[in-house]
Amino acid sequence: MLKRLYATLCSLNLALWLMAGVMIALAIGSFSRAGMASGMNDMPLLIWLQQAPLSFSWWLWLCVAFLAMLCVNALVCSIEALRKKGRSIAPHLMHAGFLLVVVAHLFSAYGGFKQQLQMVEGGTIGFPEGDRVLVERISAEYGPMGMMSALRADLKLNGEVQGVQPNHPLFHKGYGIYLKDVALTPRPVALFEIHREPGSLAALLGALLFTAGNLMLLAQRKGR
Amino acid sequence: MKWLLISSAVLYLASFRRPIFAVALGSGLAYLASRGLSLGRLPLIGPQDTLAFFSSSIGLMALPFLYSGGASAERFFTWGCGLLAGLFALLALPFPTLNMPLPPILDIYWFELHVALAFFAYALFGLAALLGALFLYRGGRQLLDLQYRAALVGYSFFSMSMVSGGIWGYYAWGTYWLWTPKELWTSILWIFYSLYLHLRLKGQAWDRGFAWLGIVGFLVTLFTYLGVSMLMKSSHSF
Repeated sequence: MLKRLYATLCSLNLALWLMAGVMIALAIGSFSRAGMASGMNDMPLLIWLQQAPLSFSWWLWLCVAFLAMLCVNALVCSIEALRKKGRSIAPHLMHAGFLLVVVAHLFSAYGGFKQQLQMVEGGTIGFPEGDRVLVERISAEYGPMGMMSALRADLKLNGEVQGVQPNHPLFHKGYGIYLKDVALTPRPVALFEIHREPGSLAALLGALLFTAGNLMLLAQRKGR
Repeated sequence: MKWLLISSAVLYLASFRRPIFAVALGSGLAYLASRGLSLGRLPLIGPQDTLAFFSSSIGLMALPFLYSGGASAERFFTWGCGLLAGLFALLALPFPTLNMPLPPILDIYWFELHVALAFFAYALFGLAALLGALFLYRGGRQLLDLQYRAALVGYSFFSMSMVSGGIWGYYAWGTYWLWTPKELWTSILWIFYSLYLHLRLKGQAWDRGFAWLGIVGFLVTLFTYLGVSMLMKSSHSF
């Protein structure tokens, strides 16, 4: 009985069906305007899943179920293959990378945080540990076509001033302060987003592992 | 410099021979270079630039297959590549060029890397579909091996594009993942080619299914690139 279950769990057919299942669930989700528009990006996913009506979120539950089984399948398949000698480790590095990325999503789905703040010069952003960030200066530059070409906010933290711009956030104790928008009239105002993404390091490690395995596989397949 | 893009499209469509294809590619690349020089960045924003970039990516990625691969003797393949690249060059023509500087949120190397790698991958998926069609029409396992090779390299480019997109997203938006139709279809495309590469392990009995999957994959690619941008609201729009 257990042997049969193990054989099923590491079977290629199961992997193919599960991948098809994940794709179908995601495709349904992409057309589900209710699901996409109902704040999925504004709160940790696990909280959204608890709060959203099942009629909005059923496709995601389905996807999570397929994905969970796919992870088990990938793990068992890699263990089984690595037990046999002489096998390339490249596909299994890719599996490990994929599993780490899924774990990263789980971390972020559980402990992620996002909040928008509109601040004027002299305003402060408080952190749970008591630290405060002072918004010293808000500035923007406009290009010849009237589009905003650069925006910046100077933030003071622990006596040190650091500039925050799009693509250049300020990181502090696991939180990132992102500058989203600036308006200069009637007085300078900046829109900030505070993010915490606990899965980011695991996602990066997973991506690096996957890429390493992928490059090894390419090298092995070269000329074959 | 639009004449360079027009001549590239015309030459691609007439590329029954490899030298004509190479000249068409040269013309397309010269157009992109002229756009890049005038903008001071890679031309990767707006439908015209992205379609022209996609067209040249197909030409560039096809070169190794045309000059050293097993498909080099197939005149139909040369013309098929030309038709594919020419079609996207033609599609680019009616759209106006966007000559604005990069919006601050896109002004980062990770963005350019993300988009360029995605187009190289899309191009290779297109070539894989052509090779699959050629296999179904004419047979010959070598064509299927080439299809696998094109799809594998395309998959690698696409995976790296997703990684660079995630890093860009983390710096730009504070997260490496957003729940938008574009991200979902990007994941669907990546899983589709994961499935395709795993199907290879099923052996020769699945050869025709494998070839068909390579063709369907390019349809999924086109929907991910054009369909989602045109039909769905997303953070990515080209």
